Amino acid sequence: MSCRGSFLFIVLALYWGGVLAAEIPSGPRPAASDETLAEGAAIYLQRCSFCHGLLGDGNGPAAEYLDPRPRDFTLGTFKFRTTQSGELPRDEDLFRTVSRGLSGTAMQAFDSDLIKNGLAENERWAVIDYIKSFAIEFEDPELDPTKNGLVVTLPQERPPYSEALVAKGKEVFEHAKCWECHGKLGRGDGQESFDRTDDWGFPIRIRNVTHPWKIKAGIKVEDIYMRFSTGVNGTPMPSFVDALSEEERWALANFIKSLQHQLTDHQVLKAKGVEGEILDDPTDVNWAAAEPMDVRLTGQVIAAPRWQNPSIEMATVRALYNENEIAFLIQWDDPFKDVTHQSTAEFNPQEISRVGGFNSYVAANGMVPRQLETFRDAIALQFPVKLPEGTKKPHFFRGDSSNPVHLWQWQSDLAEAGTASVKEFNARGWKQPTKLQADDQQQVTATANWDQGRWSVIMRRPLLTDDRNDIQFIKGQFIPLTLNAWDGSNGEHGLVMSLSTWHSVILEAPIPLTVYLYTLLAVLVTGALGFWLARKEQARTGPGV
Amino acid sequence: MKKPRTRRFWSVVLTLLVVYALIRWGIPALSREITDLPFPLTVPGTLMFIYMLLTVIALFLLVTFSEEHLEDFLYPVRRFLRGEYGGVTRAVGLAVVPLLVGWQVYDVTVPKMEQPLSLRIQHPSSNFPKKNETLKNPFANTTDAEIDAFVEQARVNDIGFIPQVQPDLDSWAEYSEAGHMLEAIATAPVRAFLQELEAGSISRDTARAALMEKNLFEGRALYSMNCRPCHGDSTAGDGPMADGFKLRPINFTDNGTIETIVEGYTFWRVSNGGPGLPTEATPWDSAMPVWKLNLTEEERWKIILAEYDLAQKTPRIPESH
Repeated sequence: MSCRGSFLFIVLALYWGGVLAAEIPSGPRPAASDETLAEGAAIYLQRCSFCHGLLGDGNGPAAEYLDPRPRDFTLGTFKFRTTQSGELPRDEDLFRTVSRGLSGTAMQAFDSDLIKNGLAENERWAVIDYIKSFAIEFEDPELDPTKNGLVVTLPQERPPYSEALVAKGKEVFEHAKCWECHGKLGRGDGQESFDRTDDWGFPIRIRNVTHPWKIKAGIKVEDIYMRFSTGVNGTPMPSFVDALSEEERWALANFIKSLQHQLTDHQVLKAKGVEGEILDDPTDVNWAAAEPMDVRLTGQVIAAPRWQNPSIEMATVRALYNENEIAFLIQWDDPFKDVTHQSTAEFNPQEISRVGGFNSYVAANGMVPRQLETFRDAIALQFPVKLPEGTKKPHFFRGDSSNPVHLWQWQSDLAEAGTASVKEFNARGWKQPTKLQADDQQQVTATANWDQGRWSVIMRRPLLTDDRNDIQFIKGQFIPLTLNAWDGSNGEHGLVMSLSTWHSVILEAPIPLTVYLYTLLAVLVTGALGFWLARKEQARTGPGV
Repeated sequence: MKKPRTRRFWSVVLTLLVVYALIRWGIPALSREITDLPFPLTVPGTLMFIYMLLTVIALFLLVTFSEEHLEDFLYPVRRFLRGEYGGVTRAVGLAVVPLLVGWQVYDVTVPKMEQPLSLRIQHPSSNFPKKNETLKNPFANTTDAEIDAFVEQARVNDIGFIPQVQPDLDSWAEYSEAGHMLEAIATAPVRAFLQELEAGSISRDTARAALMEKNLFEGRALYSMNCRPCHGDSTAGDGPMADGFKLRPINFTDNGTIETIVEGYTFWRVSNGGPGLPTEATPWDSAMPVWKLNLTEEERWKIILAEYDLAQKTPRIPESH
């Protein structure tokens, strides 16, 4: 494991370990009073109001830019509960959300055990008192879920995670038709279009349950169990508490758990050397044998137009090479195959890009069309034009004026039209537009397919070219690479995209013969020395004892 | 019986093992205790080599200190070579040692697939403009004239808020039917100020404190709109965008980040971002934007005010020359 990998692993382990400790209150809840309300109001003003609004209506200054949008407390509708569908949450449910946050959203953990400037338990209870004061539903004792037997509990019998249990859960997944929305493989690709909205009028984007970092209310089997036993209020996600037995739901939760992707933890992609032709089929044995590298991507928030609601947050890359060419297989989840592009619908970022503009981020809704049949899906590989000397590289976002980069951008609409689908660009920083290479220098070719919510794109090029604006693939060198990605139906185009920072690819050179030679020599010399010493020692004292 | 003559040999072996274990595992374990970081600081390979070399030299000096010492040390070696521990032991020993050496030679010479580490200076000063050293945050050092102007605005209930917070304030005002817009910022200093305002005698200190609250209110809104995606609600560098960056956004609540620099430095970093950094700070890995391209100076200073407040830190005081 690389140093950075183990570091991340430890941080994550600590984080998740901490979450377990933090989500349950250590003692009884202090009674709400005028004092706790006042304390809660002060905390709310400082820590919550900028997203949730001064009135708790989810309309704070940052709200428009977020998807999912901050919760509107005035409706008394809460997504993550341990109560029956449509009911109010228990206080402990709110405590859990405030303490541990909602993964993959702007709602972060506020527990003082998790963050240094966090809130102590009493402070969290005080702010919950205040949040509850926004919705009159909480004042009605008839609606109190704990007093009316509306709490959902975990099953008494909870057999541990096993393959048999997962197989049983898969059957439940099939017959309960979870796949109708979530897709056969859980990638959130079940729906045909954005035909439904949540209670707040925003289009529903179905959760891809294979990406654990996006699972909002917890990735443990117990958490998953609660989601389909309580439903997600305000969304089409129903409760299966009546349709499925406790046992079935527990098996289903284990199956969903089994779908969660385990991220690789290295930053260096090893391109595997092969004899003969590199096939366009991603299921080919050579591709299966190439070591995958998961690349995390994030919203392009470095320059206006900034985007903090990216759709593509991970792509898996593999690379193969033979004596002539190198090929990259890039796979990423995208619930819709977007293969059209209307350049007239593109966003003009001029207004939000100026100094003192209202905000340089693109709003979650209304600014760019986040709909089908508008923008294409695309992916780009980025390399430095010149191999770095030492560790110095171009800036990971499109390079800089003195350090240009070389981009290979694959575009789905071109692929669909059957024309050359990769465009080679050069860039010197994000301020200048990218420069398309001349036709006779366009040497990257690609094949692509979209299946069950996943794109697989293979891009290939000769190892060496005679273009001085191209990256050259030299064996045994660390060649920096980054990814840029666009999900058309998420409104992404131009700089509204997701991107990664520098990783690198290395073409595994065969181990030089000299290494074996040195090793053999060392063994022989040491062996001979030992033998000679033994002989000498024996000769000195006479044979045997 | 005389004392076993193998003691010196084994004490040398044991010393080597103990020293190796200390460097390999002891120092990293201790480093976690000292630094409080969630990961150990490992000893670099070259340093490890130097330490082990020094140990070997010391042991060599010890062993060759006298004829007697050397004889003691060599005693079990000679016995082994003569096969006095058994023919099989000798055969195995003579085979294993060359193989171990071969393994080491292979390991050293084989090309490594480890990416070269790039060291990074977090707070570079090589291109930090000296004039910024003593730059003061105008919102932490409001002038009497500014305070008087604020009091005037408060008197006529027409506080000039930044446009970003105005819509939320407007809906709050409509719903709450409050007497004064500043009531939206329901903190003790603002309440005290509003009381004095009603009574008609306002002290400048109360007004200064209330103005500070108003600026913090605006700064927090700007922070949550602009910086929160990466640096997080918590200012701990754990925002929803943070996981995608190899160089993680800075954790402001950590000792040793914004606490150790002057405000002028923070302002320079916020304004010029990653591309403004010198080479030793690996600007190519930094996702920090060039905020002077989008935020006004006032907005940047308000954000810095709120950033220190949220992180519960204070900037370093500039040294006087």
